[in-house]
Amino acid sequence: MRALDYAFRQGWKSLVRARTSTLFAVVAIALALIVLGTLLLVTWNVQRALARVTTAAEFSVFLKDDATSEQRGAIEAAIEQSGVSAGHEYVSKAAARTRFRSQSAEIASLVDGLEANPFPASLEVRVLPQAEADGRAPALVRRIATLPGVDDVRYDREFLAALGAGVRTISAVGLALVTIMALAAAVTVAAVVRLGLQARHDEIAIMELVGAPLTFIRGPFVAEGLLQGGIGAILALLTLIGGYLAAQAWWGAALTQAFDGAVLEFLPVRLCLLLLAGGMVVGSAGGFVASRHAGFTSVTWR
Amino acid sequence: MIETRGLSKIYSRGLYALQDLNLSVAKGEFVFLTGPSGAGKSTLLRLLLMQDRPTDGEIAVNGHDLSTLKRREIQEYRRGIGFVFQDFKLIPTRTVLENISFVSEVLGVPPAQQRRRAFQVLKWVGLQHRMNAFPHDLSGGEQQRIAIARALVNDPPLLLADEPTGNLDPDLSLEIMNLLREVNAGGTTVLVATHDRELIRLVGRRTITLEQGRIAEVA
Repeated sequence: MRALDYAFRQGWKSLVRARTSTLFAVVAIALALIVLGTLLLVTWNVQRALARVTTAAEFSVFLKDDATSEQRGAIEAAIEQSGVSAGHEYVSKAAARTRFRSQSAEIASLVDGLEANPFPASLEVRVLPQAEADGRAPALVRRIATLPGVDDVRYDREFLAALGAGVRTISAVGLALVTIMALAAAVTVAAVVRLGLQARHDEIAIMELVGAPLTFIRGPFVAEGLLQGGIGAILALLTLIGGYLAAQAWWGAALTQAFDGAVLEFLPVRLCLLLLAGGMVVGSAGGFVASRHAGFTSVTWR
Repeated sequence: MIETRGLSKIYSRGLYALQDLNLSVAKGEFVFLTGPSGAGKSTLLRLLLMQDRPTDGEIAVNGHDLSTLKRREIQEYRRGIGFVFQDFKLIPTRTVLENISFVSEVLGVPPAQQRRRAFQVLKWVGLQHRMNAFPHDLSGGEQQRIAIARALVNDPPLLLADEPTGNLDPDLSLEIMNLLREVNAGGTTVLVATHDRELIRLVGRRTITLEQGRIAEVA
């Protein structure tokens, strides 16, 4: 406990003493964590939106204008017998036009002048979540698309799958970038801590000669790195919060609409704590690497 | 307290700093180590402080066989040794009291005990009134007395001093030697390396003279 207290007191002193060089280390860590945090923020929100869309999965079967009631009946029977549907609703051409008018009032006048109703009748099918997961839903969609009277089937799973794959690729590239940046940050911390080690050379030599335990000799440097990492992480989190608030103010409404009503959210507390811990780990790793020879600097064994 | 058998230290280019050295210092003894520059005095002290390893031979201090000590055991061994250097080696950014209590602090002694013990040794060397001064505010003699106080703060059974009066005038040198004699009177084994023959004569203790890494005379 005394070693810990000593390590943090001395680590803090060293941090304050070398303010300028400490700033470099803190900024390096903050930059790495801002990239990581942005990545987490984006993937976290996209995954939430994807999950929301997936649980509310449905597909629309657009019928040809000349589809007969027998053909429609056969399509409905295929849907009901598939075990994929949690229910379906028939939307007539007139109902589709009315829905368009109410949902898109500002452009509703565009269709008012038309003599014929351009909207097709459709069947809107709610999909059971397990059918979505085990692949029965996409199979049904493919089969229905071939049935007589069907003009088109709109099922946006392929788009969602592509979006998911894109997010995964971005995450992988981002993680590689973050790893490189974290290493660079650790090297910067190590360089800064080594400067402190030089500044305290006499003190360390005396500590070695009086037989101070290695925890007392090296502890302050690890603590210094940890503090630099912690401050860098807090700086990164504050920047991320600022960026999130700005994004929310500028594009919040558009994003909510794009992601089917999902509201843009900041990272959950556990991820924020993980970022903080990550910064501290990177910082203390740098401090540890820099201090690994401290304790034997007065020894010149040949 | 100190035993060496066939102790040799060869530096690069095959130069002997110590050659087949056999010496013994008893517990509670005050011994001078003297000789010209390059005779091996500082090398012997470096070996005793485990700042260096011998090339050959055995060396035992206070029951520790130094040849078997592992790197991590050195720190524990050094806790039983006080040291005083010619250049004092005080930390310029710390006050006199902090320079002394620092030793106890890094050995994990509770804060109240650190200050109490530091003040005791400071009082013993007669500099309690300078406890808040910084090293650069002190004279050479005062700085060396602080260094001695620091060396004694943990009651080590052995005190090593490498040219402790090298930077001091004759009067101050004698004052420091008297202080070391007092330390010895308290039971601490004292080994002082010096080339000041006059001082040795005035203090009058057993003297080992080294020449070219060998014992030339024991008086």
